[in-house]
Amino acid sequence: MKDENKALAQGLQRRDPELLDRLIEQYQFRLFRYLVYISGDRTRAEDFFQETWIRVLERGHQYDGKSRFEGWLFAIARHLVIDWQRQRKVQSLDALTDPEQAHPLQVKDQHSASALQAILNSEQDAQVQGALHEIPAIYREVLLLRFQEELQIDEIAGVLGTPPSTVKSRLYRGLEALRVSLEAGVS
Amino acid sequence: MSENIHERAQQLISQERIEGISASDNTWLATHLQECESCADFARKTSAALRSLQTIPIALPVGLAERTQFRVGLRAQQLRQHEPRRRALWIAAGVSWATGVASAPFVWRLFAWLGEHAGVPKLVWEMGFGLWWAVPALIAAVVLLSEHEKQSGERNWLQRSQ
Repeated sequence: MKDENKALAQGLQRRDPELLDRLIEQYQFRLFRYLVYISGDRTRAEDFFQETWIRVLERGHQYDGKSRFEGWLFAIARHLVIDWQRQRKVQSLDALTDPEQAHPLQVKDQHSASALQAILNSEQDAQVQGALHEIPAIYREVLLLRFQEELQIDEIAGVLGTPPSTVKSRLYRGLEALRVSLEAGVS
Repeated sequence: MSENIHERAQQLISQERIEGISASDNTWLATHLQECESCADFARKTSAALRSLQTIPIALPVGLAERTQFRVGLRAQQLRQHEPRRRALWIAAGVSWATGVASAPFVWRLFAWLGEHAGVPKLVWEMGFGLWWAVPALIAAVVLLSEHEKQSGERNWLQRSQ
């Protein structure tokens, strides 16, 4: 794994175009999903997605290969969203999500076997989305990084620029909030 | 006391998912979950909540990767074009600095001599000498700044598109 990361770091330093193309394809789903969740806006997430890869190209020499690439990638993406928030003078990630204007987390079931299954799946997805939106953004973000992206606590700490203890406490609170929110949705 | 047991079990259920638990805690928890329906239900709900997070599909915009690869390719090309210019600038700045350092004592004497002959106050020719030293660095800084401005102008598409 370390050797892979080192090779990746060297390729990024060289601005190897084939490597970048491969990384864009490899991480497209995960990065886009993360951006949709933290920006709360699919259209904006597309812009952030492209801009993130431009930054990867320009600042590839800063990746040292000592940690996993995805942590570094998500940190770049996150900073872009935060910069955008600052420009808009928005104080929190939650404030970005305007359910009237943007429809984040629009889910399309691509693997449905039948119409009934599609309805059931979309109901379940909608419920999860609803539950996620009930959770404060700082908790939602750590839950996604831990359980969707499967990053380790110290990697999440690197992405967020916070101590691991803060990440842990956010994870506990976020998990509790998700459970409560899902239960409320069911009842 | 019995409430503490359930609290401990629920704490361990979350901890197991978040940071992992020891083998002994794991054994204790497994035994407790077999005996306690409410904690087992808590564990099931936790699993369901996390599974739901992992299974939400998000549709990717069509051609997003291709569009991004194209943009990144263009930017890489721009950077490659700018690179020799930038390298030349750094080399010129380095040479200028080295020459400046090496020739400083002679130039100082030259400025002093000129100042004396022209009857210019000492402060003026000293300032002239300072300027002579600072000009190459100032030019390099101006060029780098203008390049930086140009780049941020190109990248302000994100702001403009808001």
